[in-house]
Amino acid sequence: MPSIDTLIVVGVMLLKVLIIGGALFCAPLPLTWIERKLAGRIQQRLGPHRVGPFGLLQPLADMIKMFVKEDIVPAKADSFLFKLAPILAMAPIFAIFVVVPFGPDITIPFIDYKVSLYITDMNVGIIFVLAISGLAVYGLIFGGWASNSKYAMLGGMRSTAQMISYEVAMSFAAVGVVMMSGSLSLVDIVTSQSGGFLNWNILYLPVGPLWFVIFLIAGLAEMNRIPFDMPEDEGSLAAGYHVEYSAMRFAFLSLAEYVAMVSIAVLLVVFFLGGWDNPLGSLIPILDYVPPVFWFMGKVGAFIYFFMWLRFTIPRYRYDQLMTIGWKIMIPLSLANILATGMIKIYADYRITDVLEMVGLKLW
Amino acid sequence: MVDIIKTVITRVLFLDFIKGLLVTLKYTLSRSITLKYPDHETWIPYERFRGEHKLHRNEDGRELCVACELCVAACPTDCITVVPMEDETGRRGINDRVAKVWEVNLVRCLYCGYCEDACPTTAVRLSRGFELACTDLDGTIREREALLTESPIPEHYEGGVVVKAKYIRKLIQIKPELWKQKDWWPAKPGRSKKR
Ligand code: SF4
Ligand code: SF4
Repeated sequence: MPSIDTLIVVGVMLLKVLIIGGALFCAPLPLTWIERKLAGRIQQRLGPHRVGPFGLLQPLADMIKMFVKEDIVPAKADSFLFKLAPILAMAPIFAIFVVVPFGPDITIPFIDYKVSLYITDMNVGIIFVLAISGLAVYGLIFGGWASNSKYAMLGGMRSTAQMISYEVAMSFAAVGVVMMSGSLSLVDIVTSQSGGFLNWNILYLPVGPLWFVIFLIAGLAEMNRIPFDMPEDEGSLAAGYHVEYSAMRFAFLSLAEYVAMVSIAVLLVVFFLGGWDNPLGSLIPILDYVPPVFWFMGKVGAFIYFFMWLRFTIPRYRYDQLMTIGWKIMIPLSLANILATGMIKIYADYRITDVLEMVGLKLW
Repeated sequence: MVDIIKTVITRVLFLDFIKGLLVTLKYTLSRSITLKYPDHETWIPYERFRGEHKLHRNEDGRELCVACELCVAACPTDCITVVPMEDETGRRGINDRVAKVWEVNLVRCLYCGYCEDACPTTAVRLSRGFELACTDLDGTIREREALLTESPIPEHYEGGVVVKAKYIRKLIQIKPELWKQKDWWPAKPGRSKKR
């Protein structure tokens, strides 16, 4: 019989897993609504507005539709892989959130129990994230391969090539983050950037903004969104790797896509925008009372909005352009940037606040 | 050389992307042009719009049409049929004549408005009604009784606006104030509102 403390720890852990898992499962519902509304606004339409007030119940209606539709497995498909693919696409992306810190430790009032707002603080967090997110491509490849359809196959192949190319640049960007923050643990990365937006990695001049851009572009490619949504290029591949999927399996694939979007937004926030850090530091005292989780969610929301905005603004790249950007620009650039970051780290490891302090300016 | 520098700066700072994003941002903030037609909003066409025919009465409730058949003669597609008859007072003469049959085939009609121009008593007017969809070809022929239902005189209300659909249901009872729910295209200085 384990001691009561162990049981509590396990219970709290399970609770956190349930909450995060549930939240991620439900996240696509509001996200699809927001995306469709935003698409409507940008194209001067109304977006969904029939079901419920402002069409808020539209995702629920869509979900019911997905549930009751027939689940078709093509006759010539490899049915085991075909059924496995949506799970394989989904699980790794959920697993990323195991190491993501949503906020600093909080103490529950009255019982004085300390709860950390992350499931684990892995000391190799970044490596875990990269390794796990790389697995997600198996879902796409298997889905494309097992469907036994030319379009799906091409979509799967494209996603493989794309993921491999951009995984490199993304990993380099992660290396840059590790260099800037000096830790592999996501919690330490966040705490190393605390104290206002001038301390954030994105403003670790001159290399920070470049790392941010590299990670952003690689992230966009990793999650298969416009402008890099080659695997599901409607114009040339019908719907790419999920062309044969229907009903709940299709829902799982699109769920995976939305959660991937959230995960990239979360990683960008953790790596470059200081995680739960209050942007203005303690410059404005009243902001200290805003719970840190709010800042975290706000930043993630802003990124999600940006991704959606981007989707309805720019067209998709051609396949060869995609590869050119990946191999000829991103990778050399990130290699050069690693060198630059190393140099700076050795000879001039200053954040903006340090420089300001040196000239006698103390903001907070 | 200057061009190359310019290109490099544009590429490095993603200026093209920012430009494009600003365009879509502008659209995000602009008003939607979709109408929730037909159950929430309806478009009231401009005054110059020529739609379904209507026959009108004078203030005393007497039909204005005197069955002179001038509209029949004017119609380029021969889609109006008018058969005259005496009215129930038994009197004859141009003032007492009414139409026994007055029907128009809305499918053949090309909404040119010649009938309206030809009519000496302004009995037939092309209203601004455009909801002519029907499931049966019979529905495309408008008889006298249907045409005589009370309807506003076209130039008595303004057009070019979107109104709530629940107002349009009772079109006749509409007070002109209610039509100004939402001015569609903002009035240009040169465009007169009243005929
Ligand atoms: S609008 Fe023109 S075509 Fe139509 S009934 Fe009148 S005259 Fe004939
Ligand atoms: S509608 Fe006018 S033109 Fe036609 S028959 Fe009647 S009075 Fe004559």
